[in-house]
Amino acid sequence: MRKQFILTTLLVMSFIALHAGGYQVRLQSSRSIGMGLTGTAMQMGASSMFYNPGALAMMQSKADFSLGISGINSLISFQKFESDITAETDNSMSTPFYVYGAGKINEKWSVGLAIYTPYGNSSKWEDSWAGRLLIQNIALQAIFFQPTIAYKISDKIGIGAGLVYATGKVEIQKGLNYGPDSYVYLDGSTSNIGFNVGLYFEAIDKLSFGLNYRSEIVMEVSGGDATFNVPAAVGTSIPASNKFDAALPMPANLDFGVSYQATEKLLLSAEINYVMWEAYKELEFKFEQQGELLNSINIRDFKNTIIPRIGIEYVYSDLLTFRIGGYYDPSPANEKYFTPETVSLNNLAFTLGLSITPSEKLSIDLSYLQIHGLQATKTYEPDQFGGTYETAAYIPGIGVSYRF
Amino acid sequence: MKLRILVVLVAAVSLWACQPEINEFEPTKGNADFSVYMSAGNSLTAGYAGGALYRSGQENSYTAILANQFEAVGRQGAFKIPYIDSEDGVGNQGVILRTKLVMGFSTDCLGSTSLAPVPANPNATQQELAILLGTSVAADGPFHNIGVPGAKVTHLLAPGYASLNPFYARFASDPSNAVINEIGLIQPTFFTLWIGNNDVLTYAIAGGSVDAITPIEGDPGYGFAASLEAIIMSFKASATGGAIANIPDITDIPYFTTVPYNPIVLQDQVLVDQLNAGYTQYNDYMEGEGKPYRINFQLGPNPMVIQDPSMDVDVPSLKFRQIEADELVLLSIPQDSLKCGFWGSQKPVPGEFILTSDEKSAIESAVEAYNQVIANAAQNHDLALVDMNKVLKQGSTTGIKMDGVLFTTDFVTGNAFSTDGVHLTPQGNALTANTFIDAINKKYNASIPKVNVADFEAVRLP
Repeated sequence: MRKQFILTTLLVMSFIALHAGGYQVRLQSSRSIGMGLTGTAMQMGASSMFYNPGALAMMQSKADFSLGISGINSLISFQKFESDITAETDNSMSTPFYVYGAGKINEKWSVGLAIYTPYGNSSKWEDSWAGRLLIQNIALQAIFFQPTIAYKISDKIGIGAGLVYATGKVEIQKGLNYGPDSYVYLDGSTSNIGFNVGLYFEAIDKLSFGLNYRSEIVMEVSGGDATFNVPAAVGTSIPASNKFDAALPMPANLDFGVSYQATEKLLLSAEINYVMWEAYKELEFKFEQQGELLNSINIRDFKNTIIPRIGIEYVYSDLLTFRIGGYYDPSPANEKYFTPETVSLNNLAFTLGLSITPSEKLSIDLSYLQIHGLQATKTYEPDQFGGTYETAAYIPGIGVSYRF
Repeated sequence: MKLRILVVLVAAVSLWACQPEINEFEPTKGNADFSVYMSAGNSLTAGYAGGALYRSGQENSYTAILANQFEAVGRQGAFKIPYIDSEDGVGNQGVILRTKLVMGFSTDCLGSTSLAPVPANPNATQQELAILLGTSVAADGPFHNIGVPGAKVTHLLAPGYASLNPFYARFASDPSNAVINEIGLIQPTFFTLWIGNNDVLTYAIAGGSVDAITPIEGDPGYGFAASLEAIIMSFKASATGGAIANIPDITDIPYFTTVPYNPIVLQDQVLVDQLNAGYTQYNDYMEGEGKPYRINFQLGPNPMVIQDPSMDVDVPSLKFRQIEADELVLLSIPQDSLKCGFWGSQKPVPGEFILTSDEKSAIESAVEAYNQVIANAAQNHDLALVDMNKVLKQGSTTGIKMDGVLFTTDFVTGNAFSTDGVHLTPQGNALTANTFIDAINKKYNASIPKVNVADFEAVRLP
């Protein structure tokens, strides 16, 4: 009953912000966050269901529950090209979360359910800002449900797979050139399925490798609500209420990680994520009425990115564990098609983590992630709108794990 | 110990996590002195729009926008504009005065209602409007924007021009002045000049039937080149820099491109035959005389029949013909006469509503010659040259995208031109101001901030 209440609260609060390149958000374990968001080659108990289902097979406890939440405070600053016009977003705090529960069936098999929020974007510009004809505000939310099964092939090798059921919601508002109060507001939701498979391999004592693939999931909105606020004179060509179709890909990820237990107290972890952003070629809107006039294909042409990550964990005492890490997440956005709807710069990030372990069964994990989007001058050529962008995000997180 | 390190780290981190500051743009005046800015020109400079001079139109002229932007690079004091105290404003169509045209619904002779430009206040009397236009604001002067609707390059030099043009009379510091005499009262350090459009436009707007194109050669006050030179010299008495804009090929503006040459749509063969029968005599005569003119109607859209006094035909009453596809019909053509008055089919359209090929090429070559003079003047006087001709050309072909706005030369929907099809919307003025700024920045190695064109209005729709 109580758990259900917490879950519901989390769902309602869930509002996810951008800030990990494109609209991917990788805040799926407090422990991982502390270590530069690595985790593919680590045994993370139930949290491994996201980072590497293969590592779930190596779970040591009989059952493991883990839940956590982060608060993303993201800031975007903008200065228009060749101008003194500036703007800032006024984003409300967004709160990606995760809930995991996993257990061992026997020595070989483990199963679990993971609920997490790996994609999202929330940017709120002022309605009258300089780029209002491109975007006023946008909110993408996606919640993934992933039942998972893992099999321990040997003491050294585990494999695992999860079926992902993804639900998503999108809201977009952009201004129209029919006066300061004209805009179109789009609101749609959808669901789709995908998968997550992983391999965990302890090559030699203390040295582990992990390989994980999470499939692309295309969120196709069909029959979403479109509301046009335009002068009455154009009402016949632009009806106030319309329906739209659009599709947004959640790109596939291929992660390869390595971790090394340097001493009993010190764990080093490094990995690279290959994010297949090329799937995001265009954002097409099709409208049920007046399609000839209103339909649009907006080129995005994202490029694949490689994110290097590094993390260190130090067990200070039975009670305290410290973590530190960092990563570099290059922008997937195309030079010519850089839009303020997804301000995705080259991101430099560092992380801190602290776990308090009052008993062997319980751990309280604190994390802190700070992302600095490096200043860059970019243009969205189709609209001849550009300027200098800089972003920052600071993201405290808390998680609780209970195992027995 | 380690805990202390952690505390320090967290503190350092929190400091870093504030709103990023961007300061990529530093306004600089370069080699120019913008402290006192003055602008001269015609209706475009005055902020005339929608067929009238009105308060918010004047506030959104490219000149007023420039004055605002120049503040960042050292412009001082108020920028005085001879405001007309009305939002409906006053303009003239020939000798008739009217309020500005706004988009509204009008019902035509066939009883169908459509979106069209209509007077903002159809009940305004000629007397009221005459008083509004005749009220002098000279006491608030001298003014920094001395754009005069209707003025040609030669007019700016004419003493006593106020007696000919009420738009100048209303702010002239002295009725016996020429417009350029206002310049000495301001002593500008920097000026902009965009003049010459009316030297062809007045001819064109009358369908080539009255007025004349200003010749290139001739004394100041008569010829284009010498007059332009005299105006620039008046500015240079005090100004150390300036910008001069060239003249767009006006035959690309919506006033000339909106009404098609072939609006006579026939759907009934009986009617086609009747019309053709009516022109049999005409066609026989032309054939007999060895003239190329024939009039022939068929099902579907047909070119209208127009008067053309320049035709080489002996019988004056037969000086009419069908319009060619590249000839232009003026936006001022009475639509009801086309739809219900048999204009273009049974009755030839009067020449004042048509630009014939000859008139068009006279205009085009005049514009080309003027622009050569303007380019030379810019070079001789070391001024920034603003290529508005190129801007309009681009607008009429590919369109221009800026800040998410698409500018074309389409009437009303093209965002650039106001409801009169000649003058600019606030958004069109913003585009113009940015074009001036680009040219000035380049010439004077300055960084004047540009405006965001999306912050300005296009044609307002009901």
